[in-house]
Amino acid sequence: MNSQKKNQEDLLRQYINPERIEKAPEGFTSKVMTRIQIETVPLKAAGRLRNISFVPVISVSVTILLILAAVIIPGSKTGSSVFPAADLIKNIKVYLPEIDLTSIFRFNLPALIMYLFIGILLLTIFDRALNMLFHRGK
Amino acid sequence: MDYKGDIHYIEQVVAGKSNAFSYIVDRHKDKAYNLAFRICGNREEAEEIAQDSFLKAYGSLGGFKMKSSFATWLYRIVYNTAISHVRIKKKGVLSLEDFPADATDFIGNNTSEEEAENEYKSSLINFAMQKITEEERGLISFYYYEEMNTEEISDVTGISKSNIKVKLFRARQKMLEIIEKVEKKKLIYHE
Repeated sequence: MNSQKKNQEDLLRQYINPERIEKAPEGFTSKVMTRIQIETVPLKAAGRLRNISFVPVISVSVTILLILAAVIIPGSKTGSSVFPAADLIKNIKVYLPEIDLTSIFRFNLPALIMYLFIGILLLTIFDRALNMLFHRGK
Repeated sequence: MDYKGDIHYIEQVVAGKSNAFSYIVDRHKDKAYNLAFRICGNREEAEEIAQDSFLKAYGSLGGFKMKSSFATWLYRIVYNTAISHVRIKKKGVLSLEDFPADATDFIGNNTSEEEAENEYKSSLINFAMQKITEEERGLISFYYYEEMNTEEISDVTGISKSNIKVKLFRARQKMLEIIEKVEKKKLIYHE
């Protein structure tokens, strides 16, 4: 395989002259520069920077706020820990809501359709709002 | 005028002096055009591809992270632009009959026999290049015309080094088969 490869390479090199490169036609640079001016190609740096930095900045600020809140909010009087945050975490009680599915079946079909329509409408508005927020530059 | 290096002019363009881009174009235009021509095999289309590539490069200059050299980054743009261009404008398959059988067909008014032979070889290579895939054309161009090694080609194309070796081997094989057929046809023509 290696000798075959070498042989192939040598054979092809007889025909290929690397110095013989196709040169760009006359006036190429000025044509490109004219197109840049006419088409006003925007540099993407600024826009991209805004898009990239926007989301992480919000998420980092929210995380910092949550951590600060956990540390700063004073613990309950009965707490024994020095750190109020530890007491806060200890006192967290999770309550799951009771879902009453029977109420769904009490609706008749037109009422269900109306509820579905309102739900889809709300979700669409929410989706549009998020889209506008995160794709403002595009 | 002395060329101060790609980075210098890139910084000027990013700072708002768009005219500095002309120095970059001037420096890299031949290599960009040559690569585009090798892949598409047509001078007008190659000019269009090279121009489009420079426009894309200009538009994305702010995003150029300088991890690789500007030339490598530009090659990547030209390579991808040329490949997509060729895929959109798929041409009909050339037959052996499309290639002149004799080197004398390349002799013009003021060309010597040696020049005609070189012209013949060059045309034969261009012809053989049109018989391989656009991706293989790019690889052959990088390897033989730009004299890049497989690692550099891998940087530009995103294809693994071992895969490049395999693809180059196949491309060479195909091209040599075509060259052999044309040369045989030439012999028959002379008999």
